[in-house]
Amino acid sequence: MNIELYMQSGIVESYALGLATQQEVDEFEQLLPHFPELKDALLDFEYHLELFSIDNEIPPPPEIRQQVEDRLRGVPALPHSTRREYRRHGPEYVQAKETSNHIRVHKIWRSLFIAVFILSKIFLILAIYYFLQYRHAEKQASQVQAPVEKKN
Amino acid sequence: MDQTITKDILRSELYGGERPAAELLYSRYSGMLYSYILQFVPDRTEAGTLLVDIFSRLTLQLQEAFDSSLSVYCWLQVESRKIILEYIQNKGQADGPSSAELAASNLRRGPKTAALYFLLLEDAPPEHQWVFRELFLYGRSKEDLALHSGKDLAYVSRLLRECLGMIRKNLG
Repeated sequence: MNIELYMQSGIVESYALGLATQQEVDEFEQLLPHFPELKDALLDFEYHLELFSIDNEIPPPPEIRQQVEDRLRGVPALPHSTRREYRRHGPEYVQAKETSNHIRVHKIWRSLFIAVFILSKIFLILAIYYFLQYRHAEKQASQVQAPVEKKN
Repeated sequence: MDQTITKDILRSELYGGERPAAELLYSRYSGMLYSYILQFVPDRTEAGTLLVDIFSRLTLQLQEAFDSSLSVYCWLQVESRKIILEYIQNKGQADGPSSAELAASNLRRGPKTAALYFLLLEDAPPEHQWVFRELFLYGRSKEDLALHSGKDLAYVSRLLRECLGMIRKNLG
């Protein structure tokens, strides 16, 4: 299959906008795991579409939030079996093509790194201090021992 | 785009129940979806009612979002469109003209909306806008549109393909 030609047919955009027919959706989803360029094109389109939508968002009237909450309050919770299903599946990993030399990590690592860095400096200072104390004590001990040895 | 909600974030919120997940989705996407709905339903009160309906229904279908190949936002959009089209269809059956009559009147009226996605098609010829509007806003199939407008199916498909190309290009 010529994947470039397939993408030029507008299938990625059709799929992301919900315009594709069921047959086109099935075909697209079958091809998706086999063609990384298809996945990349979809991610790229979704990303730009979301940015565009953020730029053009219109805040709904404030009372809508309360109405959604009220509606959800009246709806029975998901069965526990379904919740267990979410937990069992664990986090979902997405096959991503590495394009950047940078990595993104959770914000907690910043505080942890700072704490480890500060602690390491404290330990280093303490180590130097105790080493100097030890050297000083050793020197004093040898000074005390010298006259005693002379007397003997 | 730090505010994007990934499926992992949504899944972890869902451990706490549907309400926190709905809260998260609402805080991030309500404005975007409201703007999306206004393309189909320009009346703001009606759009607000649809937004409530969409959030309360889709919060209970989040497993589908996890199973989908789409991002959370695109999944929300696609599923919202189904709900909106269902609403418009039901409303049309109650008090509106038939789909063929609607299509014919739309064809005569020319471009109708300049909202959201149509901003990306501002430079497109009127016929391109018409095809996109019929397929996207009214949920018609290419075959149905070709049949009722007397156009060739290949011609309609080409116009749609060109519209999608313009959208991609204008998105950047």
